Amino acid sequence: MSKQLGFLHNSEKCVGCRGCEMACKNEYQTDATPQWRKVFQLNEDAFSLPTRMFFSMACNHCAHPECLRVCPVEAYTKRDDGIVIHDPNRCIGCRLCTMACPYDRPQFNPAKKKVEKCNLCYQRIDKGEKPACVAACIPGALELVEINDSLDQKTGVLKTLPGLPSPKITTPSIRFIGPKQGKQIRRD
Amino acid sequence: MGDWEWPLILFTVLGQIAVGIILMLWWLDRSRDHLNTKLFKQGVNVSGILLALALLASLFHLGHPEAAYRALAHLGSSWLSREILLFLLTFLAWIYLFWQSRQQAISRILESGATPITTSEIAAGVQQTDNRSLGLGITSVLGLLGIASSAMIYVLPRVPAWNNVGPVLFFLLTTGLLGALCTLVLGTKLLQPVQKNLLLKWSLGCTILSLLLYVVYGSLLSGSAEGSLTLSFLLNSPLFWARALLGWLAPLLLLVSLLRNSQVEKPNLILIVTLLVCLGEVLGRALFYLSAVGIHINALF
Ligand code: SF4
Ligand code: SF4
Repeated sequence: MSKQLGFLHNSEKCVGCRGCEMACKNEYQTDATPQWRKVFQLNEDAFSLPTRMFFSMACNHCAHPECLRVCPVEAYTKRDDGIVIHDPNRCIGCRLCTMACPYDRPQFNPAKKKVEKCNLCYQRIDKGEKPACVAACIPGALELVEINDSLDQKTGVLKTLPGLPSPKITTPSIRFIGPKQGKQIRRD
Repeated sequence: MGDWEWPLILFTVLGQIAVGIILMLWWLDRSRDHLNTKLFKQGVNVSGILLALALLASLFHLGHPEAAYRALAHLGSSWLSREILLFLLTFLAWIYLFWQSRQQAISRILESGATPITTSEIAAGVQQTDNRSLGLGITSVLGLLGIASSAMIYVLPRVPAWNNVGPVLFFLLTTGLLGALCTLVLGTKLLQPVQKNLLLKWSLGCTILSLLLYVVYGSLLSGSAEGSLTLSFLLNSPLFWARALLGWLAPLLLLVSLLRNSQVEKPNLILIVTLLVCLGEVLGRALFYLSAVGIHINALF
């Protein structure tokens, strides 16, 4: 693998509008229940000052993907650019990957009786376009980035947020710019 | 929390009984002519039926059972692929055993002591017994490896309650316990008293070990937040207490009483113990799936 693509999410900019979720559903016309990308609200008491902030998460195209390890049919492959692709044509719907992924990102589609997940819009990336979610994010909170040491050394870039599973399990390819404590964005 | 995974409960428990019976037959066959030919035949038939039912049940877990053959594609890292391969190999070895069980006519002549027996008949009988033992050994080893692979599927870093040696030990103990009890039921009239006694002692040992293991396992669960949730689910579930009563306590008392009065034949009591343990193991396996809590995103929505 020559590089590792991933997401950088800036909770400082995110307003929790769910535009990324909708852009993803729209791009792939997915069925009602599977949610490849999902916007979460951080627990308000996770910080010393009450903080109402959001983060958006799809598949994290992990460096050590558990989904890929456990899948019996090799439905998962990891490309040279680090994107973890799920091939629904191979999937037999055993749901083992849904048990193994700590982020619950492979989602079982009861209508198709198969699993599906975000493939990081690899077909758009191959054409030089941004992933649909990134392109749709109005405040520019979601970015496609290369995960490497120089990114990790930047001030304010975090590997995890309160409430997320330990990154040690799968080494997810997502980074965060954390929320400013005490800031509250109201969406309700 | 997990779901009632009926196909997986049936697949694992039935597969483990099937392999357990073969394992016990192999053990009884360790010195030549100790295994009654009729028992061998019955054991092979029953374990074959159970193995076939187990494999059939496993298909119902899949969204696309028609493509189940593809599950062999990822032997490099998927324990599910390895499990399927080993169970298919066990089934092939069972076919060899089945064929062997049809060839046991001469052994039966030897057993019945019918005369006259020629030296070539004796040699053929000895050869058959050797082949039988080899077949039982190969099937047992493949089956045990298949069961260990089944258990390894659940050793997932995401699920702390499973991410340990527990699943492997639980699955192997079910195999040993139900294998011995079902062999006792099959061999009510065909086992020698000393063999019955050994199988009863083995069953008691497995029950005690299973109970002790669970106590240790339960006390280790509180080491993680998800494990603690599993523990409190178990302790608050009436199913768990039913499992403890029917699958551990009652069989424990009945087995001790059977061993104390081993001179008296009590086939009905053995049948009751076997049914209780079967029920206990099915409930235990259901709880194994129901109580699993995975590490997940802890956010508001
Ligand atoms: S986030 Fe889950 S589905 Fe995506 S690569 Fe990681 S383990 Fe696999
Ligand atoms: S559900 Fe599909 S993709 Fe997931 S492990 Fe099973 S076969 Fe592989």
